[in-house]
Amino acid sequence: MATQVDTTAINGADRVASPSFWSGVWHNHAPGYLFLLPWFIGFFGLTIGPIITSFYLSFTHFDLLTDPRWAGLDNYVRMFTNDPKFAASMRVTFFFVIFSVPLKLAFALGVALLLNRGMRGLPLYRALFYLPSLLGASVAIAILWRQIFAGNGLVNQVLAVFGIQGPSWISNPNTSLWTLIILAIWQFGSPMIIFLAGLRQIPQDMYEAASLDGAGKWRQFWRITLPMLTPVVFFNAIIQTIEAFKSFTPAFIISGGTGNPINSTLFYTLYLYNEAFGFFRMGYASALAWVLLAIVSAFTAFSFLTSKYWVHYDD
Amino acid sequence: MSIKLDRRQFLMGSTALLAAGALARPAWAQDAGLRQFFWGGQARADRTYGVNDLFAAAEDGATVDSSFLGWGDYWPKLATETAGGNAPDIIQMDYRYIVEYAKRNAIAPLDEYVGDVLKLDGFDEDQLEGGKVDGKLYGISLGANSVAQLVNIPAFEEAGVEPPNRDSTYDDIRAMGEAFKAANIRGGMKVIADGSGVEPMLDNWLRQKGLALYTADGKLGFGAEEMTEWFTLWNGFRADGICVTAEDQALDTNGPLENTMVVLGKSALMPVNSNQLVAFQALVQDELTITNYPRIAPGVGGGHYRKPSMFFSVGGSSANKEKAAEYLSFFVNDLEAAKILGVERGIPCFPTVRDAIAPELNPQEQIALNFVANLGDLLGPLPPPPPAAAGEIDISLLRTLSQEVAFGARSAEDAGQYFVTEAAAILARQA
Repeated sequence: MATQVDTTAINGADRVASPSFWSGVWHNHAPGYLFLLPWFIGFFGLTIGPIITSFYLSFTHFDLLTDPRWAGLDNYVRMFTNDPKFAASMRVTFFFVIFSVPLKLAFALGVALLLNRGMRGLPLYRALFYLPSLLGASVAIAILWRQIFAGNGLVNQVLAVFGIQGPSWISNPNTSLWTLIILAIWQFGSPMIIFLAGLRQIPQDMYEAASLDGAGKWRQFWRITLPMLTPVVFFNAIIQTIEAFKSFTPAFIISGGTGNPINSTLFYTLYLYNEAFGFFRMGYASALAWVLLAIVSAFTAFSFLTSKYWVHYDD
Repeated sequence: MSIKLDRRQFLMGSTALLAAGALARPAWAQDAGLRQFFWGGQARADRTYGVNDLFAAAEDGATVDSSFLGWGDYWPKLATETAGGNAPDIIQMDYRYIVEYAKRNAIAPLDEYVGDVLKLDGFDEDQLEGGKVDGKLYGISLGANSVAQLVNIPAFEEAGVEPPNRDSTYDDIRAMGEAFKAANIRGGMKVIADGSGVEPMLDNWLRQKGLALYTADGKLGFGAEEMTEWFTLWNGFRADGICVTAEDQALDTNGPLENTMVVLGKSALMPVNSNQLVAFQALVQDELTITNYPRIAPGVGGGHYRKPSMFFSVGGSSANKEKAAEYLSFFVNDLEAAKILGVERGIPCFPTVRDAIAPELNPQEQIALNFVANLGDLLGPLPPPPPAAAGEIDISLLRTLSQEVAFGARSAEDAGQYFVTEAAAILARQA
């Protein structure tokens, strides 16, 4: 004991304290880290590892069967200079994001406002409206959607009652992407639940004060509800935009993995998947994945930068 | 306190053990048996498992651990396993991929086993040739098939027309289409599906002209002129209501058979493979049969060929190559196995096996057997295996382009030119 005190005095506290600090950490937290071990293995082996590998592969030509060959920037150059399908998939994806996200959020907010009035059986309605979100990305729903919008599907049967002969929505290049946008809007459940929670946070006395001052419902919505809700709108918009960029399953099922008719449902992720697993072009697909990451990051950063002009936090 | 600590240590230990176990599992998952992987549906799987049981019984417990996937999922999984050095011992292989796999040593040459454990005396010569790459045998054909037209017999009866026979031409199909239009049966059913985006149909049409889809050195075997002529032919059919509309044809995404034109009741004829008659009949109430593709002019043949429907190959890294070769020999030789397999994978390649199973086949299987065995003047030589990018040209170019023409987004001339340019670019492109 005495010698330890001596060395501390001579060499300074750090050198002795640091091994005892780490052994203390280990002693106190070892079981915790051991319990986390399976997660660590998964995180480093299945997430970080593949991300680094994919970054490396994006600079190679790799067909899975033979070793990757270094290609420098070839993949990125081809993407932006000589790939009509890349451009087509960009157009489809941006169209989908630009239309599906605002419409979905508007719809979710509308339903949240209705449910916020307080009615009998509210939990039941909440659950029912949330259900499509849970089922949304599943193969079963995509197949169901295919049936509903087929030439003799439910939609056209309803239209036929009014004497309208509808097109075969999913197999017509003018309408096929819209069926996917409608499917996305229909899965409004999760932003709706978050809106509902946001609406509950708005103090009631503001509405009382406003109505005493003679503000109508419409004016109250624009002057109180929406400004108070902007942080929630911001959150939902970012999450839904990222979701929309990543959208894959419905297009994959409805077009049988092809992005047809005429590439009208060729989502970016679908194109990436086909390049990787259809045509074994792993290097190019990795480059595509990194470009997608860059685009989504840019969108998110842009949202954050502009948010100070329209998002109002209570302070 | 001390008991608590012990328990905690025990938990720590067991967690670490579990984690270690998860990492070490592959080491003891391998046993002496063979691993087999194939594409197909449940019906094919049941037949295959039946043969595996026979093999295990005959070989005194030589187990075959077998799994299967649909065509689309099969190739990514196989490529991933091969890249990971974990390829199965017995691999179902397609004519389209055999060169690619053989050249990369992902499958093993089998010549050293022929005549020893692999008995191939009397095996159809063309089917044996089909499994060779650079003169070495890499795949054992599991059956021969041919492209064919699926025919809905009652639909023709209702329209009051004779169904196509082996002499029918594209002009005859047009006449039948006019009759179908006049009869207006089943809500405007058309005589034929839109074949403009169907690669085997284009191939057959080109072969009748003495051309080929691909040359032996992996180039495009035809020019923009032919492609334009092809699209123009179908434009005419579409405009006159001989074939189905663009919108209907787009429902067929080359996925499940349920989305095809004959099954949906949109057309009475449709291009298929001869061994698929059995599968289609299971989905349709009407009686079906098959016939050959139309001729481009009376008396012109040579478009068809007997294609190895699929192969079994042996994994290049297999530790059990000899046993695997023994299994392949059993699979194609054993008569009991042949009775279980029927013609689901195509027509067996030993005449003795064909004779043995013929009496036991159901009517659809008999039709398929007779069709492939009696192609006559329709039969041409086996084309060289297609280049590696052929799949991409089919899926991502031909089908999309045929839709652009069908929906009027591109003229036939423009599409013909674009196809040739873009196909050359795809063929030249690296992985």
